[in-house]
Amino acid sequence: MLSRLFTRAAWLVVALVSAFMVGCSKADLQVRQSTLDPKGPVAKLQYDVFMDTVWLVLVLFVLVGGLLVYAVVRFRARPGDDVKVVTQEGHGNPLVEIGLITASIGALVFIAIPTLGAIWIDDDVPASAVPTSKLSAWYPRTISGVEQYAATLENQVLEIDVVGKQWWFRFEYPQLGLTNDAKHSVPNEMVIPKGVAIHINLRAEDVIHSFWIPKIAGKVDLIPGRKNHLWIQADEVGHYYGQCAEFCGDSHAYMLFRCEVLEPADFVKWVASQKKEAAPVAENTKAAKGKELFAAKTCVMCHNVSGHFGAGSFAPDLTHVASRKSLAGAWLDNRDPKAQVAIEHTSPLGTEASVAVDPAVLKANLIRWIGSSGVATGADGKPTKDVKPGNRMHFYKMFNVASLNETHQTFTAEELDCLAEYLMTLK
Amino acid sequence: MSHDSHHAPVASKLELAPERSDLGLYRPDRATGWVDWLTTVDHKKIGILYGAFAMFYFLVGGVEALAIRTQLARPDNTLITARMYNQLFTMHGTTMIFLGVMPLSAGFFNFLVPLQIGARDVAFPRLNAFSLWTFVFGAFVLNASWLFEFGHLAGWFNQFEWHKNLIYTDFAPANGWFSYAPLSGTIGQADQALHSPRFTGVGTDFWIIGIQILGIASLAASFNFICTIVNMRAKGMTMMRLPVFTWMTLVTAILIILAFPAITVALIELMFDRQFGANFFNPSAGGQPILWQHLFWIFGHPEVYILVLPAMGIVSEILPTFTGRPLFGYPIIVFSGCVIGFLGFAVWSHHMFTTGLGPVPTAAFSLLTMAIAVPTGVKIFNWMGTIWGGRVRFTPPMVLSLGFIWMFMCGGFSGVMHSSAPADAQQQDTYFVIAHFHYVLLGGVLLGLMAGLYFWFPKIFGRMPNEKVAYLASGLVIIGFNLAFGPMHYLGLAGMPRRTHTYHAGNGWETWNLVATVGAYILGIGVATAFINLVWTAFKGRKVESDPWDGRTLEWSLPSPVPEYNFAQSPVIGARDAFSEHKYGDLRLIYEKDGGPSGVHMPSQSWMPLLASAGFLFIGFGMPMMSMGIPYAGWLVITGLVVLIAGIWLWALEGPGGYMLTTPTNTAPANQPSASLSR
Amino acid sequence: MSEAAAHDAPTSTGIEHKKLIMWLFLASDCMFFGTLISTHLLYRKLYPTGFTDAEGHQRFIQNLFNIELTSFSTFILLMSSFLMALAVSAMHKGQIKSFRRNVLGVIFFGLIFLGCQVFEFTHFYHQGLTIQNSVLGSTFYVLTGTHGTHVAIGVLWLILLYFYSFSGKLQGHVAALDVEVAGLYWHFVDIVWIIIFTAVYLVEYLGPNGFWGSGLPPVIK
Repeated sequence: MLSRLFTRAAWLVVALVSAFMVGCSKADLQVRQSTLDPKGPVAKLQYDVFMDTVWLVLVLFVLVGGLLVYAVVRFRARPGDDVKVVTQEGHGNPLVEIGLITASIGALVFIAIPTLGAIWIDDDVPASAVPTSKLSAWYPRTISGVEQYAATLENQVLEIDVVGKQWWFRFEYPQLGLTNDAKHSVPNEMVIPKGVAIHINLRAEDVIHSFWIPKIAGKVDLIPGRKNHLWIQADEVGHYYGQCAEFCGDSHAYMLFRCEVLEPADFVKWVASQKKEAAPVAENTKAAKGKELFAAKTCVMCHNVSGHFGAGSFAPDLTHVASRKSLAGAWLDNRDPKAQVAIEHTSPLGTEASVAVDPAVLKANLIRWIGSSGVATGADGKPTKDVKPGNRMHFYKMFNVASLNETHQTFTAEELDCLAEYLMTLK
Repeated sequence: MSHDSHHAPVASKLELAPERSDLGLYRPDRATGWVDWLTTVDHKKIGILYGAFAMFYFLVGGVEALAIRTQLARPDNTLITARMYNQLFTMHGTTMIFLGVMPLSAGFFNFLVPLQIGARDVAFPRLNAFSLWTFVFGAFVLNASWLFEFGHLAGWFNQFEWHKNLIYTDFAPANGWFSYAPLSGTIGQADQALHSPRFTGVGTDFWIIGIQILGIASLAASFNFICTIVNMRAKGMTMMRLPVFTWMTLVTAILIILAFPAITVALIELMFDRQFGANFFNPSAGGQPILWQHLFWIFGHPEVYILVLPAMGIVSEILPTFTGRPLFGYPIIVFSGCVIGFLGFAVWSHHMFTTGLGPVPTAAFSLLTMAIAVPTGVKIFNWMGTIWGGRVRFTPPMVLSLGFIWMFMCGGFSGVMHSSAPADAQQQDTYFVIAHFHYVLLGGVLLGLMAGLYFWFPKIFGRMPNEKVAYLASGLVIIGFNLAFGPMHYLGLAGMPRRTHTYHAGNGWETWNLVATVGAYILGIGVATAFINLVWTAFKGRKVESDPWDGRTLEWSLPSPVPEYNFAQSPVIGARDAFSEHKYGDLRLIYEKDGGPSGVHMPSQSWMPLLASAGFLFIGFGMPMMSMGIPYAGWLVITGLVVLIAGIWLWALEGPGGYMLTTPTNTAPANQPSASLSR
Repeated sequence: MSEAAAHDAPTSTGIEHKKLIMWLFLASDCMFFGTLISTHLLYRKLYPTGFTDAEGHQRFIQNLFNIELTSFSTFILLMSSFLMALAVSAMHKGQIKSFRRNVLGVIFFGLIFLGCQVFEFTHFYHQGLTIQNSVLGSTFYVLTGTHGTHVAIGVLWLILLYFYSFSGKLQGHVAALDVEVAGLYWHFVDIVWIIIFTAVYLVEYLGPNGFWGSGLPPVIK
C-alpha cells in the first residue's frame, strides 16, 4: 500500500516537473509587458539581479529539494520493517547546523552584493550617463532662431513630471514648455527620446498609483503629498506598454498608459508638434456642430483644446487627441487590432512595433467612450456599460459638490457622432 | 498495538453541585445542547468552535476566490463588474487571513496547548470564551457588509432617505486587504457634518470596525495563551521540554500582542479621519498616506509569521511521529522560531520597496529580509534531519506535511527573489507576488493546518477520517494548488498586475490565466473533499483508540475524546516527548496526588463572555450605519458600549465559580510508581 | 474550597495569572502608545509651524499650552500613583479602611486630571485648534484623548472596586491581588503620561532653540 502510494507520488512529481518544463517552453518571454525582455539599462539591471536570484534559487532548489526527495525515498518505511522508535532528545548536530547556517549566509551574500549595487544605480541618473544625456548633448538649443529651452538647463537631463489621477496619467515636460499650466500637457502617451537617460518626477493628486513600464523600468509609486522619482532610459525605438500597478479604486484595471520611444531628432519634432494649436474647424460641418456641443455640454469645463478652448485643466488635454493611439486611459486601442497582432508577430521589433491609428476604430472608440457611463442608451434601450466605472467624466458626485450632481449630460446618437467628428479633427 | 494501559488517570463522572455565583445568577454548568456550547468555558469545546467557524469562512473565502478566478479565466471578461471584483478580492484576502487561518490556528492553540503542557484548562477560561465570541461577532460584522451590498444591488434600500443621500454606494469593502490610505481614507476639507470627501463608501467602515473587533479577540486570546504556557506547565515541563507546537504558539501569541497595537492605532486614526474629519492620512491637509503603509506593515509583516508559525509547529509535531525519531535539533528549531518572530518586526518596509524610501532604507530592509531566510532555512534543514535515518510512514498527515515543506520551500525561494529590492521593483504588485504568498500561505499554511486536522482529528473526536479520501483530497489540493499558482509566477513576470478585474487579449496572459483557473477549481474540489471527509468523520467516522498514530506528546496519553477535565491527576514530566519516553524509554509518566478525594476543580460555565462580546456586535453595526447616515445609529454604538461594560461588570461580579469532579483513588495505571493517591 | 483549588495552585513561574496577564496587557499597551506617540512626533517634526485657525491665522501649538496647568495636572497624577501604592499596601495588610481612604484619593486626583484635560481641550478648541483643521490637532487630540480614556477607565475601575469593598467580599489574598493589578494599570497610565507630557509639551522648552530647531516662534495673538 505504502510503496504503491509512493510510486504514485513519484509519478505525480514526474508529471509536475514535465508540466513545468512544457510550461516553460510554451511561455512567451517577449510579451508586451514582459519584465524578462529589458529594453533599457534600468530594466536590464533589474533583470540581471533577478537572474542572479533565479540561479541561486535553482541551485538551492536542486540541492535541498533533491536531498529532501532522497531522504523521503531512502528512509521510507518498508513492509516488515522493525520500527524502532527513538526517544532520546534530539539536539541536532552542531557542526551540521553551523555549516548550513554559514552556507545560507554565503548564498545570500551572493545576491546581496549585486542587490546593493543596483539599489544605488536605480535611484537616480548615474553620473556616467549624464554627459551623453544632458539636453545640450542631443537637443538643439535653438531651432530656426527660436529658443527651445533656457541656457541654464543645458547641463540637465530631460525631466518629465508624471501626475497620476483616477484613472489616467498626465505627462509634462517642464524644461521644454509642455506643461498643464502652459496648456500643453500630454495625457497617457509618454514620448521619450531613445538612448538618453531621463529623470522622472512622480506625483499623485488623489490616491496612490504606480508608474510601471516593464520593459523600461520597474515601478515606483505616485503618492499624494510626496515627491518620488526614478530614472529611465530606452535603448530601442518602439511602442511600449505600461500600467498602473497600485490598486487605485474601481477602474484600476483600466489605468494603462503607453510610452513611445523615438529617435532624438524625431522627439524634437514631436515636441514642436505638441506646441501647435488645434486647426480651425470648417464651418457647417458635423465637426463644427461637434465643436459647439463641446462647449454646450460642458466638456470645455475640464478638457483643454489649445486654439479652441482654454478653460479646462482638470481632465486630459484633447488638443491632439486624434493622433493618440489609445483612448480612455489607454484601455481603448485606436489601432486596427488585427493589423497590430500581425505586425507584432512578423516585425523584427516584435511587440514594440505599432501600426498607425485607424480612423474607423478611433471614431467608434470616441463614441463608445463619451457615450458610456449610463449617459447614452444602447440598441437595447438600456444604458451602455461604463467603459471605466466610476470615472469622473460623468461621476461628479466624487467631488462632493451638490451643484455638480445636476450637470449630467445626455447625448443623442447624432450628437455623439458630431462630437466624435470634431475630436477627430484634433490631430 | 494498544496503548490503553498508558492512559492517564480518568476521573469518575460523580459530579458535585456547582457553586452558586456571587450574584446568585444561574451558572449553566449542567446545560446541554446549544446552551452548553454558548456558555462553555472548556478550551476543547472553544477550540472546536473556532475550528468550525474557521472552516466555514474557509469555504466563504474559497467561493470568493473561485469567483475571482472565473472572472479572470478569459480576457475582457464581463462576468463580474469592476467594483464587485474589487470587493471580492478584498474580502477574499481579509476572510482567509483573519477569519480562516488565524481562527483555525486559534482552534489548534485552544485544543492542544493545555493538553500538551499537562494543564486542565487555560489560565482564564471565561476570557477564552470572550475571545471566541468576539471573533465570531467581528467576523459577522465584516461579512454583514455583503448583506448590505446585495441589499443595495437588489434595491432594498432605495425607499430610504439615507440611501438617497449617500454619495458612495459601495457597501462591501473594496480597498484590498491592506486598505491603503488615501483610497480608504479622505482628501480635502471636512464639511460641517465633519465628513471629508473620500473615495470609498461604508464598506471601508465595515472593514475598519470588523478588523478592530477581530484584533481585540486575537489580543485577548494571546494574553491568555502566553499566561497559560508560561504559568500552567505541569511539573517538570521546563520551557525546553515544551512540544514545538506549544513553543510556536507562544511565539505567535507574543507576536500578536506586540504587532496588533500598531494596526489598532492605524485603524483608530483612519476611523477618526473618516468619521470625525481628522487628518492623519489626508494628503490635502498635510497628512502622510505613507504613514498608513508603515503602521500597517509593522503589523502586517509579523502577521505573516503569526499565520505561518503555528503551521510550522504542527509540522514539527507530525514529522517526529511518522519518522519515529525525535525532532532533529529541537533547540535550534525553537530558537529559529524565536529569531523569525523577532526579525519579523524588522522587515516591514520590504512591502514598500517601490514607495521611494531612498537607497539607504531600501538597502537595509533588503538585507534584513535576506537575513530572515536563514532561520527559515534552518527549520527546513532540521525537518530534513528529522526524516534522515527515520522510518517514514506515509499517512495523510505526513503526506500533507511533506507537501507543506515542499511548497513552503518554493514560497521561500520566491521570497528570496523579492528580498532583492531592484528585482522586486519589477515584481511588486504583480501576480509574481500573488504566487509567492499563496505558496507560503496556501501551500505552506493551509497544507500545514490540513495536516494538523488529519493528525489530531482522532484525538478531538475519537474517530479516524477515511484514509483513501484523505489521500485523494491531499492529492487534489497539491495538484490543483500548483496548477493554479505555478503559472502566476510567469504571469507576474509577463507584467500582469494584481488586483485588476480584467485584461486585454494580446498581452500573452490568456493561456496561463485559464490554466490557473482550472487549477483553482481542482484545488476547490480537493478542499471540499477534505471538508466533507472531516465533517462526516466527526459524526459517523470509524472509532479509534486513544493513540492511533503512536504519538509522542502528552495529549496522546489521554482518552479520545478527551474528558472535560483533561488530567484527573496532573502529570509530572521527566523528558521531552514525554509520552514516547513513557512508552519506549526508561522514564515513565508519573502523576501528582492533586486530584484526590476532594476531586478536580472545574470552572463554571458563564453567559457573561457572550454578553460582553455582544456589545461588539452592536458597535460593529452602529459605526458603519452612522457612516451611512441611518438615523439614531449612534444610539446603537452607545447601546453596544453599555452592553460591553455591563457584561464585563457582571462577569467580574459573578466570580469564577466552579464545581468539583471527584477522583476515585484506584484509577492510576498499574505501571505507575506512585499509585497511591489518597491525601 | 474551590477558590483555593482554583487560585492557589502554584504557577510554574510563581507569578499569579492575573498579575502576569496585566503585565502582558501593559506590554501590548506600550506598543499601542508607542505607535500613537510616534505618529505625533512624526507630524510635529514635519510641521513644526503649527496650524491655521478658522480665521486663517498661522498659529503655534506651543502658544496654546498652559504649561503651569499641565504641570499641575501631571503632578496630581503622579501623586495619585503614590496614593495607589498606599492603597495596594493597605489591602495587602488587610486594612480595608485605609484602602478605601487612599482609593478615594486616587479617584479624586484622577478626576482632577480629567477635569484639567477637559478644560484644556475646550480652551484649545476655542483657540482654534480642532481635530479637523490640522494634522497637529488630529494627533494631539487623539493621543491625549486616548490617554484620557485610559485614565477614565482606570477611574471607573477604582470606583467599582471602592463600592465593591463595602460588600465585604473584598478581602484576603485574592482581593489584594485584584487591587494590585488595578494598581499596575494605574501606575502604567501615569508613566505613559510622563512620556506624553515630555513628547507633547516639554520638548518645546528643551534648549534655547527648542527641540525642533526652528526656535520658539513669536507669540501671535
